[in-house]
Amino acid sequence: MSFFGFQENDLEEERQRIRNGGAHENEDVAVYTWGEESYDGLGDALQEGGDDLNDETFGGGGSVGKDFDFAGQTSLLEPELAQQKSLSSEVQPRRDNAPVRPAEQHLPGDRRAPQSLESIWDDRSPFSVLPRENGGSRFAERERREPSTSQFSPFPESPVLHQPNASQGGARTLQEIEAEMRTAALQSRGASQRQQNALRLQQEEEFFQEQAYQRQRLAFQRERDQERELQLQALQRLQQQQVMQLREQPQHQRTPPPRMLPVSQSPRFLDQRQMLLLQQQEEQHQLRLQQELQEQLHMEELERQLRAQQISQLNQGPTHFNHRRQPSGPTIAELQALQQQHLHRRQRSQSPAYQDFNVPPQNSVQLQQRLLAELAQVEYLRDFQGATQAEQEALRAEAMRKIVEAEKMEDKRRKKAAKIAHMSRYNDLMTQSDKDFITRIQVSQLVTPDPYADDFYAQVYGAILRSRMGLQTQDERVLKFGTGGGISLGNTQKAATRRPNAMQRMEQQVERIVSNARRREEEKGLHSLHSLQGALGKTSGRSYKAAPRQLLQVDDNTSTSPTLAHAHPHISKGEATGPSNEGAAKEAAKLSRETLGNTGNVVRKDPLTRRQVLTTLEALYDLVLKVEHLRREQPPPEEEDAFQRWQREYDDLVEQLWEGLKVMVPLETSNPHPFVSLLSPSKGKKLLPRLTRHIGSSRMLTLMTLLVACFTQLDVVKQAPLLDALEETAERAEVERQTQAFLGSVLQSILPIVANLELHVVTALLGLLIERSQDIAEVAKTKPGLALLTLFLSRVEVIKQAWNNGAEPVDVMTAGAALEQWQAVFDQFFVLLTPHLLSLFPSSRITLQAHHPTSAALAIDIIDQPVWQFLAALALQAVPEQHQVLVTSLRDKVLENVLSANKGWVADEDERRTKLANVNLFLHALGLDSSQIAL
Amino acid sequence: MEPSSIQEPFDLIRLSLSERVFVKLRGDRELTGILHAYDGHMNLIMSDVEETIMLVEGDQPGVAPTVNVAKRKLDMLFVRGDGVILVSPPSRT
Repeated sequence: MSFFGFQENDLEEERQRIRNGGAHENEDVAVYTWGEESYDGLGDALQEGGDDLNDETFGGGGSVGKDFDFAGQTSLLEPELAQQKSLSSEVQPRRDNAPVRPAEQHLPGDRRAPQSLESIWDDRSPFSVLPRENGGSRFAERERREPSTSQFSPFPESPVLHQPNASQGGARTLQEIEAEMRTAALQSRGASQRQQNALRLQQEEEFFQEQAYQRQRLAFQRERDQERELQLQALQRLQQQQVMQLREQPQHQRTPPPRMLPVSQSPRFLDQRQMLLLQQQEEQHQLRLQQELQEQLHMEELERQLRAQQISQLNQGPTHFNHRRQPSGPTIAELQALQQQHLHRRQRSQSPAYQDFNVPPQNSVQLQQRLLAELAQVEYLRDFQGATQAEQEALRAEAMRKIVEAEKMEDKRRKKAAKIAHMSRYNDLMTQSDKDFITRIQVSQLVTPDPYADDFYAQVYGAILRSRMGLQTQDERVLKFGTGGGISLGNTQKAATRRPNAMQRMEQQVERIVSNARRREEEKGLHSLHSLQGALGKTSGRSYKAAPRQLLQVDDNTSTSPTLAHAHPHISKGEATGPSNEGAAKEAAKLSRETLGNTGNVVRKDPLTRRQVLTTLEALYDLVLKVEHLRREQPPPEEEDAFQRWQREYDDLVEQLWEGLKVMVPLETSNPHPFVSLLSPSKGKKLLPRLTRHIGSSRMLTLMTLLVACFTQLDVVKQAPLLDALEETAERAEVERQTQAFLGSVLQSILPIVANLELHVVTALLGLLIERSQDIAEVAKTKPGLALLTLFLSRVEVIKQAWNNGAEPVDVMTAGAALEQWQAVFDQFFVLLTPHLLSLFPSSRITLQAHHPTSAALAIDIIDQPVWQFLAALALQAVPEQHQVLVTSLRDKVLENVLSANKGWVADEDERRTKLANVNLFLHALGLDSSQIAL
Repeated sequence: MEPSSIQEPFDLIRLSLSERVFVKLRGDRELTGILHAYDGHMNLIMSDVEETIMLVEGDQPGVAPTVNVAKRKLDMLFVRGDGVILVSPPSRT
């Protein structure tokens, strides 16, 4: 609807009213009160054409009584009418008055008999009924649609409502016209004059019409606010509140978000003129919108009241309606819908969120209205058909449920839409270059020189996960850029599937940035300081780049560090004298040997101090990490240059590692040997498996030989007796920990070496072990020693089997010689061991005391297990006479175990099974079984 | 040996990685355990920890305060650095 639409309508009506009033004021229609008493016969003065059918059109002639009835419905609505009348008299009087009152305005009070209010209320003419019934009346229609802007305000009792300009224009026109017409009629009744008058009248009419039109426009704008207030006064309190709420709401919503206009363009692209234009448009639009809103609101109000009245029982009092609060949902939703429409129109390009937002409220409004209508219908029908109470209740409940549901859904949807709309306010706020800039910042934070190490745990964890899931392992999830650096991609298992696009884009971005950076680097390189170096002459040989001189000189030398030397008196041997500086090169060692006049060709040194061991280990770990890093960056062999350079670097690092391990330091240098010292902390033990990859197997053999030679020096061997104590002490726990680390790391790393040893090497190693250890039985009593011996024995067994099977083709001569050698060494070993066979068992060494928990018994059986394994291996190598020795020595032990297992002297099934399994392990090697033992 | 490998105090702590250390904490608490990790704030990760808490009771004047020692063992522990007074290798006999 356009802004001036109402005015146009009004004027049209005004003109018609004037015409009708002129032509038919003598008609005996109850509504047209101006024709009753003070009629001045002006009607006759007018001469107009086209009046022939007026009678038929307006039903003139006969008197129109109360029995005038459209479709026989009026009587049905009679009570309602009464109610409505009484209601509207307190609430909205103008609705009923509307068709009637204009007459009062037109005719001054002195020229006609004052009409009583009662007569108006009693008015039962179809016009008073029609507006509500079928909305057919033009008057009612106009009134309903545009009550406040009506010039002919029907409220003489409320003077505020007189709109001076607007109503004056209309009133004056009529008065003047009437006055002129009257004088004209009195002075001369000539046709020519009449015609002149008529002409003038028309001219004037036109003039005033235009005047009124313009005035109204002005008036409307000027008094818009006032009018609104007036309108509100006329409305019910409740409705008033509603309207106020509603009017406030759009103003909130209309405020644009910061830095943003609803158009998709960035604000900086709008020049001022555009802005101004936009503002103007908006103002006009708001004006129009407000009108629309008010209008629609009013319509709604009327409709709802009508419906509500239909719904409410006939016998229910009007108060019931008054107290009934109307649901605010539809109106708000409607308003939002309007608002959105408004926005919609203003928006040039729309985000989908906005569209989403636009649709649902309108739909919901429709839905709700439909629901309401249904409800009304149902109730109406029920009223007339007299349904049962239960049915009514059910229906009402159903309807209520539906409404509540619909409201809930609608509420939800609205919230969601509002949220989306709220967020989409910021759409397109950033340009692409903004985004790129931010991405660049983010990415630059991710680039590191060593992506693998920086994301070490994630990488390792990812590798483990992948291997567990059986996926093909792509080595590392890192993005590399030549030698420069890279980005760790972490574990992108999930991320890859979820946002592959984002990852790809990031990778591209990163690559671009890195290549740019590299290009810049190269450019800079051309003009860098390097090219200018030496241009101003050479500096002296000393490097100024060296680190600043240390203030605190920490000396690592043991002999000059009394506290540390004092801390390890038990290690320092009296004979180990000499200023042997660990850090000094071999030159220094030679010098010191000469000065001290050592006769041996081996320099005796203090064993490594704890500090030295730890420092060396840290350095070694650094090297290991470097080597591992280097290994990951191995260039493909095709790139000759790079590969050779890499190979050189790698070999150099491995060499440093080997040096650091001090394996090649002569055996007699110290006790313990430096390498053994390095193995003493658990991290030293754990270092070994990481080294074996890099150190060649020949070096590993050397390493193992050294280990065997110095086996008795190992902390785990020395302190093994502590394990035989059952009491839980810190020392025992520490030894336990170290032993586990040794078995798990050191022995595991030499296992593959042993598995490939030749028989004669094994023989030599066993011989070395026997020779180097004062008491081989003592070594065999330790877990590591037992494990090592078992390793050797089983290797020999494997070799023998391979020979027997012909799996390994061997020269009979050398094989025979090797076997002979082996047997000789083994015999020696067996003889040495025989007296201690029983004491090999921890269970025999441990004296189980009463206060020990019963669980200790089972623990003993478990720690006995390696011994049984060793004995089994021993038995396999033994000749029949040695079997005899074995059986007689171990007879008691075997019998004890079998007995306790069979007679039930055990705590539970587990213990029994463990005992039997242990015994059988050994007996099977002899070709026997525990079941053969008869007790 | 390379004396240059020790350049800052933390290098000394580094030597004790995966070793048993003694840690003194504010609030009359002491820890012994295996050090696994540390950072610049002296936040520590330790395993196999025994915590010793000194509880001094009877702060009225004239009465000799009694010191109770509470101990507890923890498998794995994160120590916040602001409570650490000292870290040392355990005294060796």
